[in-house]
Amino acid sequence: MSILAFFFIVVSLLSFVAAQLVLKRAMEVSATSGLRNSRFLSLIAIGTALMTVSFFLTLGLLQRFDLSYLYPFQGLSVIFVALMAAVVLKEKLSLRLVIGALLISAGIMFVSMS
Amino acid sequence: MTDDRRNKKTQNRPSGFGNPWLQLGLSVACVLVSEFLLKRGATQVAEPDSAFSWTGINGLASPLVWWAILLIIASFISWLYVLRYIPLTIAFPLSRVVDILVPLGCWIFLGESISPLRWCGIALVIIGLALVAKPIAQIEERL
Repeated sequence: MSILAFFFIVVSLLSFVAAQLVLKRAMEVSATSGLRNSRFLSLIAIGTALMTVSFFLTLGLLQRFDLSYLYPFQGLSVIFVALMAAVVLKEKLSLRLVIGALLISAGIMFVSMS
Repeated sequence: MTDDRRNKKTQNRPSGFGNPWLQLGLSVACVLVSEFLLKRGATQVAEPDSAFSWTGINGLASPLVWWAILLIIASFISWLYVLRYIPLTIAFPLSRVVDILVPLGCWIFLGESISPLRWCGIALVIIGLALVAKPIAQIEERL
């Protein structure tokens, strides 16, 4: 795997994780302030833009690598999203959830390696 | 919890098509189908020698990619709805059930074989999902 491919995989993963956090925040805002406020709309726009970046980078990567090859990186997203949701969004992260997320990530990597 | 409070929460809890767990399932199903469509679509129009193709935008030339985009938009709307009711630390790991549904789908419908290592991976994901899903009973109380 070239440095360029690694770079695009990392950027795709990070933009995907960031998008999840921004979208969750947007829906929290909508629950308290409704759908017609500028904060909600701007968060949805940012989250959608990040998802779009991740989508097109993944499409570019799929042209070069098998889906099974890219799977382990999707697996890592489980850990990153769970940890970042706890840190950034202050969601409660129990030991059970951490172990569950780690097992899911490890399982996805096993599936892709086989 | 008093009976009054429990009744109020039961009334406020979205049910039927608005049930967030049903929406999570729909979101996963849309992602599952879109993954296959994207891979086939991207392969159809692959231009590995073109630097521009790293952006993936040339993938839009494939009709399959457009179908996949429609499903992704549908899953996105369901996902936003899910995020309104379920914490990200629970909803996101559960949504990755799609990562074992793909190989299981290939095994069941396409007759492809699954190696022992892949079965181990699938087992790990299922155990992980069970651990994550355990607090769902508590979340249900809050809905």
